[in-house]
Amino acid sequence: MAAAEACVGQVVLPGDVLLLPAHPDEDGERLRLGGGAAPRGRLLCGPGLRRCAAGLLVTKCGLLRHRQTGGGAAAGGAYWVDSQQKRYVPVKGDHVIGVVTAKAGDVFKLDVGGSEQASLSYLAFEGATKRNRPNVQVGDLIYGQFLVANKDMEPEMVCIDSSGRSNGMGIIGQDGFLIKVSLGLIRKLLAPKSEIIQELSQLYPFELVLGMNGRIWVKAKTVQQTLIIVNILEACEYMTAEQRKQALAKFSGN
Amino acid sequence: MKRIREENAAFGVSCRSFIIEERSFMPCEDLLYGRMSFKGFNPEIEKLMIQMNSRGKKEEIEVDDKMEADVSDEEMARRYETLVGTIGKKFLRKRDQCVLQDEDEDGNSNTRPSKKAKRKFLKPQD
Repeated sequence: MAAAEACVGQVVLPGDVLLLPAHPDEDGERLRLGGGAAPRGRLLCGPGLRRCAAGLLVTKCGLLRHRQTGGGAAAGGAYWVDSQQKRYVPVKGDHVIGVVTAKAGDVFKLDVGGSEQASLSYLAFEGATKRNRPNVQVGDLIYGQFLVANKDMEPEMVCIDSSGRSNGMGIIGQDGFLIKVSLGLIRKLLAPKSEIIQELSQLYPFELVLGMNGRIWVKAKTVQQTLIIVNILEACEYMTAEQRKQALAKFSGN
Repeated sequence: MKRIREENAAFGVSCRSFIIEERSFMPCEDLLYGRMSFKGFNPEIEKLMIQMNSRGKKEEIEVDDKMEADVSDEEMARRYETLVGTIGKKFLRKRDQCVLQDEDEDGNSNTRPSKKAKRKFLKPQD
């Protein structure tokens, strides 16, 4: 049992209880808070953490992270556990790449790397009507987001957002190369100022689709360039920044 | 730990309303949009990248910007006021149209229109 703030950046194990600072609304303690006269606001308890009586209970092993959010729904900060895994568990709202495995009447079955196949209705594409069906074949790649994803039901995907626009989701085009990496690498690549992405973007013109289920689709002008980018992405998880720069320097000359 | 629980029970406040559980990494780490294109490989995706990644920050500004109208709201209201009358006249019978005209001219709307509005059929006198 330790204070949550003290453990930020350290390794935590499942079963650890993190105490949160005292409730600012308790009458006797309001004066003591000093500068923080406004209530603390809501706390966001991210992946790897659960609520418990005393504070937060850790359910995954990894590093504890904290972010002080400026405003919005979770003013007061967010805590989560930065863990590493290869197996994806569907989460509502995540954008993932799925492979069509079957067409069952009005519904497509997609493999997203989870324990169950996700279902995707043919009406969940932009501009799709009963007469105007999307042209989806078995084996196609689809970029969509989860509408329903919990442990009790089959996951359901859609390729439109709440206002009916596709926003880049839908069938991913021809050619290109699909690889599977760990979930931690995907998060590293999707971070706001990712060095790997910045360095790769200087290399060749190419297109990239990153799914939160650990799948990456790459397409460049020639097959050789595509393979180079794929190899760098796979290897950069275990390379240091120096090694990565050396590897890229070799190819930027070409 | 027990003391905090007791204090909470005494004040009737539950800690639970202040903690939101979230299973996804997106709000925690502020991740970017998953589709990317570089060096002009796919111009539509590049446009989408700019739009989606700045969406969170610029949402408020976009909502406030209204297009400048060619016709101001007041003019529009005035025009509509008279428009309703003009179109309404189309659907009046011929006899009622005369009444309407007189009303506009006179301003006295008590005796005369009531007489004229109810002009009944005059039997031809032999």
